[in-house]
Amino acid sequence: MTALLLGALGLTLSLVVPGFLAPARWPDRAPGAAVLLWQSITLAGVLCALGVVLAAPQELVSELGSGRPVGAAALLGALAVAALIILRLAVSLFRVGSRSRARRARHRMLVDLLDSAERHGELPAEVPDGLRVLHGPLPIAYCLPGRSSRVVLSSGALRVLDAAQVGVVIAHEQAHLRHRHDVVMESFTAFYRAVPRPLRSRAPLDAVHLLLEMVADDAARRRGGAAPLRTALALLGDAVSPDAPAEVRGASAERRRRLDRLAGTDPRSAGLTVAVATAAAGLLVLPTVIVVLPWLDRALSAWPL
Amino acid sequence: MALGDLERDVMTQLWDAREPLTVRQVHDGLSRDRDLAYTTVMTVLDRLAKKGVVLQQRADRAYRYAPAQSREEMTAALMLDALSAAPDGVRDAALAHFVGRIDPSALTAAIEAARRDPGVAP
Repeated sequence: MTALLLGALGLTLSLVVPGFLAPARWPDRAPGAAVLLWQSITLAGVLCALGVVLAAPQELVSELGSGRPVGAAALLGALAVAALIILRLAVSLFRVGSRSRARRARHRMLVDLLDSAERHGELPAEVPDGLRVLHGPLPIAYCLPGRSSRVVLSSGALRVLDAAQVGVVIAHEQAHLRHRHDVVMESFTAFYRAVPRPLRSRAPLDAVHLLLEMVADDAARRRGGAAPLRTALALLGDAVSPDAPAEVRGASAERRRRLDRLAGTDPRSAGLTVAVATAAAGLLVLPTVIVVLPWLDRALSAWPL
Repeated sequence: MALGDLERDVMTQLWDAREPLTVRQVHDGLSRDRDLAYTTVMTVLDRLAKKGVVLQQRADRAYRYAPAQSREEMTAALMLDALSAAPDGVRDAALAHFVGRIDPSALTAAIEAARRDPGVAP
C-alpha cells in the first residue's frame, strides 16, 4: 500500500495544502521561514513521486500475482503519473536554468553598453559595483542575478526618488542578489512547469514571489529604515493605471500588503519563525518515514532474535 | 581600462555619429583622451558585430560600422525584456524582482514617445 499512500500524500501536498497556505496572512510575519515551508512542501511532493516510482513496481507485481486487477490498475496509474512528473522535472529544471542564463547574459551585455551611471548626480555616495543606470522616463528598478550581477535603475526612478530612497531600493535589490532568490524562483518555476496541466497550481509560485519581496524589504528596512522604503514603493508603483490588466492589479494588491507590513513596527515574530521552520523540516521527513518504516518493520521482524 | 568600458565608449561613438564610421574614425574619436591601439578598436568592433549590436557594412575598400538600433530603441527593448513575462504568463525567474512593477501599456507608450522624438535627453 506504500505506493498509493505516497501518491495520495503527494497529491495532497501539491493540490490541497497550497490552497490553504496561499491566502494565509500569517506568513507575512515570518516570510523567510514561510519560503522554507513552501520549499519543503514542494520537495516533499517530489519525494512522494520518487517514492511511488521506487515502490510501485514491486507492489504491482505482487498485486498481479494475487489476481487483484483493480489494485494493479491504481498502482499502474500512480506509477505513470509519478514517473512523468519526475522526468518532466529533470527536463524542466535544465530548460529553465539554461534559458534564464542565456537571457541574463544578453540582458547584462546590453545593460553594460547602455549604462549612463556617471551622468547622474542623484546616486548615493557609496554606489555598488554592479549598478547600472538606464536612460528612460519610466521609474523602474530591478536586479539581474547571476555570477556577475547587476542592479539596474532607470533615470526616471532617480528623478522621482531622493538619495535615501535610492539607497533602500538598492539595498532591496542587493538582498535579492545576496540570498540568491533567483535560484528559489527558478526551482519553483521548474516545478510548476513539470507538473501536468490539470494537477498544477500557480499558488506556490505567486506566494513565494511575494514572500521573497518581503524578505528583501526586511533587509532594506534594516539598512535604511521603513519610511524611505514605503515612499519608494509607492512612487515606483504609480505607473500602474487603474484600467491595467488583472495581472498588474494583482501586483498592486501585493504592493499594498508589503506597504502594510512596513507601516508599523517590525512585524516579524521569532516564535513563529521557529515554529514554521520546524514544520518545514518535519514535512520533509514525512514521505521518507512512510517509505522506510514498512521496510524497517519487515527487516526487524526478519531479524533473528 | 576594462573591455566592457571600451565597448561602451565605442558604442557611444557610433550612436553619436550621424553615419556609419570606419575603424579609423572610431579610433581617432577614442584616442583623443587616451592611448589606444588601432587593432584593439578593430577587435572591439568585431566583437560588437558578432554580438549583433553593431552592423558591419562594406563601403569602397573599408568596413564601416553602425549601431543596429538607436540608443533609445535599444533602451526601450531592454526595458521591455525586463518587464515581460514568459509566454505562459509565469513570472520569469531570470529578471523578475522589481521594486515597483509597471503596467506594460505605460512602457509601450514610452517606447512610442522615444521613437517619435529620439532627440529627447533629460
